[in-house]
Amino acid sequence: MRTLLFLVVAATLTGQEPKVPPASPVPASEPRISGTIDAGYRSRTDVGGSFETWRSVVNLGSGPKLFGADFTIISPGHKLFDAIHVRGYDWGGDPYSTFHLDAAKQGVYHFNADYRGSRYFNNLPSFADPLIARGIYLDEQSRDLRRRISGFNLDLRPGHRVAPFLGYDRAADSGHTVTVFQTDGNDYALPGELADSSNLFRGGIHITGDRYHATLEQGGTSFRSDESTFSRLANAGNSPTPILGQTLGLTTLLRATGVRGSGVYSRAIFTVSPLHWLDLSASFLFAQPKNEVNYSQADTGSFVLLRQLLFYSGQQSVLAATAKMPHTAANLAFEARPMSRLRLLESWSTDRLHSAGSTAGRGTLLAPGSATNFTSALTSALATNRSQVETNAIFDLTRSLTVRGGHRYVWGMAYDTTLPPEGLITVARTVLHQHVALGSVTLRRGSRLWVTGEIEAASSGGGYYRTSLYDYRRVRLQGRYQLSKTVQLHANYRLLSNENPLGGTGYYLLGHQESMALAWTPAGRKWNFDGAYEHCGYQSRIGYRIPQTLATSVSVYRENCHTVSGMLHAEFAQVKLTAGGSLVTTSGTRPTAWYQPAIKIDGPVRKRVGWFGEWRYYGFGETFSRYENFRAHLITLGLRFSI
Amino acid sequence: MPSIDMRAVFCPASLVALLLAAGGAAAAPRTFGPEYAGSSVCQTCHEDISKALLKSPHNTVETGKSKDWKEHSCESCHGAGAKHAESAGITDITRPTDKTCLSCHLNQPTKAGRIQSTHAKNAVSCSGCHKVHESGGTALVARKPAAVNAQCESCHITVKAEFAKPFRHKVPENAMTCVDCHNPHGSARTAMSQSFAANEPGCVGCHSDKRGPFTFEHGPVRFDGCATCHESHGSTNPRMLARAEARQVCLECHANLPAQRAATAVMGVVPAAFHDLRSARYQNCTVCHQKVHGSFIDRNLLR
Repeated sequence: MRTLLFLVVAATLTGQEPKVPPASPVPASEPRISGTIDAGYRSRTDVGGSFETWRSVVNLGSGPKLFGADFTIISPGHKLFDAIHVRGYDWGGDPYSTFHLDAAKQGVYHFNADYRGSRYFNNLPSFADPLIARGIYLDEQSRDLRRRISGFNLDLRPGHRVAPFLGYDRAADSGHTVTVFQTDGNDYALPGELADSSNLFRGGIHITGDRYHATLEQGGTSFRSDESTFSRLANAGNSPTPILGQTLGLTTLLRATGVRGSGVYSRAIFTVSPLHWLDLSASFLFAQPKNEVNYSQADTGSFVLLRQLLFYSGQQSVLAATAKMPHTAANLAFEARPMSRLRLLESWSTDRLHSAGSTAGRGTLLAPGSATNFTSALTSALATNRSQVETNAIFDLTRSLTVRGGHRYVWGMAYDTTLPPEGLITVARTVLHQHVALGSVTLRRGSRLWVTGEIEAASSGGGYYRTSLYDYRRVRLQGRYQLSKTVQLHANYRLLSNENPLGGTGYYLLGHQESMALAWTPAGRKWNFDGAYEHCGYQSRIGYRIPQTLATSVSVYRENCHTVSGMLHAEFAQVKLTAGGSLVTTSGTRPTAWYQPAIKIDGPVRKRVGWFGEWRYYGFGETFSRYENFRAHLITLGLRFSI
Repeated sequence: MPSIDMRAVFCPASLVALLLAAGGAAAAPRTFGPEYAGSSVCQTCHEDISKALLKSPHNTVETGKSKDWKEHSCESCHGAGAKHAESAGITDITRPTDKTCLSCHLNQPTKAGRIQSTHAKNAVSCSGCHKVHESGGTALVARKPAAVNAQCESCHITVKAEFAKPFRHKVPENAMTCVDCHNPHGSARTAMSQSFAANEPGCVGCHSDKRGPFTFEHGPVRFDGCATCHESHGSTNPRMLARAEARQVCLECHANLPAQRAATAVMGVVPAAFHDLRSARYQNCTVCHQKVHGSFIDRNLLR
């Protein structure tokens, strides 16, 4: 054995090439790195007006920032990787920070990781509170959350016939809220804490041949959510008016909700081209998430149970609940090309979602000198089976003109019920039948002109909700025209009108948008301009009855908006200037103005170092909610390092 | 003797084996006739394109690592080029269309929803988004958020205007991209939207607290989707609502009396009579009905 080992080692040493010193101080196998780092300082002036609204809409602050970092690492030796791309933006306390990493070795693996962190602050007094201008504050829903979303994907053997893949995604929220403890006759705004997270694990395999492809994927999810509210401060609530001479109020509250969930899902996708004129695709998707819930509540104060006119001083209750939602979806489609100019597209799909839940609770109402025990048990079910079949025929009339005609039929049923029934709430059940005519025209004149127009017109015999698409028309026109070598025009038009004429509904919706964009790049000049203008109009009317008087009324919503945006890019003596911004004004039910002008300049300092500066202004104004207006300037100075 | 359950025989493993077997044996190397010029001839006039192609993922076609077009990658898309090489006439060379690209890229996981997609129905060409002749690994497909968004906005300018409104997803800030929510190659879902965990709306991938299942669901969330109440691109209304105030959104469904509901056969429960809309307390539905996306514990979506 030792002799054999000696011979092998000797042969290996004999076969080695003499060492050649590297020709360059940097060996060719060293990774090459290129990229940029933008870092600097942002200064914000004092926010004029509502700081809460500023935080809800913009939320940018002062301080040192890493505005962006973008690297590419190339491996000449291609040993562990071919290239790694890394980029991250807006770090240093900004409300949205991102990081992305992408690494690949051709034919071996492709890995990417993605992270996004966002700070979600929302405290808009006008939200759902039309009377705040009169000093009535009812907006108790505000949030100050931090959201982290991340995803990791690993594709093995990409490009090979059999390619396994793995993935993991996570989304998590945590932070503070202002929430409401609601009781009969009064409701109390209270601080709360919440944290939730969702994990998704998945793995599968891609199988690819010359004429087919299959993806088989299996995954699982987990979910947890915890909400808690704790208060030891006396709270008079939103409705301090005494009931039967007794003033209601909250003294203490401890409330907690815990949700734990899990689920599995399966996904199978197939595409196959059995004949040169026929492509088929099919998919089958199944998921079944389920949740288990535990809830506890203990409160003291002065309360009333209006149904029994029972005044009580405290309540203790616990509740357990469960919910599951099997969800199956499938579709089958084919594209046939019986003639060179004709394409037939046919698709069928179905979506079947059945949700079921139940609760069981018990508790005690504490009144002076007595205690009343109660129990509760409810079951709920919600289901929809929705299917559609669609046929399209696409015909090339000429080399530059294509027309399409088709039909879609949508049908389904849905029901929603909670038992035992309560008040006017009963089992809701309805069916859906909808025929939709489809058509489009596409005109192409080389790369100079492209126009496409598309229309859908539907007639329904049933719908799920009063505002669902019923008898509707949808029109879309898009065009692009190269006016000259230096000027390109774009134009878009979209329209949606929807009517539900059935008795008592009287629903009418009309929405349309017209926009035009211009890109101007003069030849031989060191500047260019792009700009866009859009007008939109929305109008909806729907009849309803005022619950307490049963009088008929109409809810009307109108919005007319104008949006102008433009950006001028210029370069003078190695200094680049970008100036422009956007302006939105709306009139109608909620008149609003929103300005975002900006000027950015950047230039070189040294060979690999540049500087940049930016001024940006945010101005927000609402005619009917002036207390929410704000304005602020942001000034940024920074350096760009290139590698 | 135990019987064999034939259903167990036709398991996913046998399906995988069948697909692998269908791949067949490798074909003989392709031979090119005199009508083909070869990439080296193309390079004499189109040097910049040839160099860029070698730096792009399509270099595997040129090297023969994928497909059978070794040293003829130009002609794999543009057709036989010997005649064009002699005449230099534009009519003597094929201008690729989406069909050209799909001849190789059709059977891929990203194309599974292509037939149902609006892009396919309106013959949007692949080269509208993919710059086949540009060099570098990221030139063929835009990867940076700003580049992805700019590409989509170049056609969808009305959508760009929607994102200029104050309450919006952070797309103009490039914290998100259009493809986070939409699959440009197609999807069986409405508006070519992405999905989460196989068949759930892509929205819940980020807004996981809205995923459920809830013990007490709010029907429109499941039946008609998030767009029932929200303008998902942008709005001048808080929380991207489709109406100026929450009560307007709610009352559009929750205001029909039982008799009306029977006549119209639509769903939506009736608000109880004590909801006096003249009172400020009842003009603010979400103060009490906080769990409008669904509740784990309360049938009236109060907590």
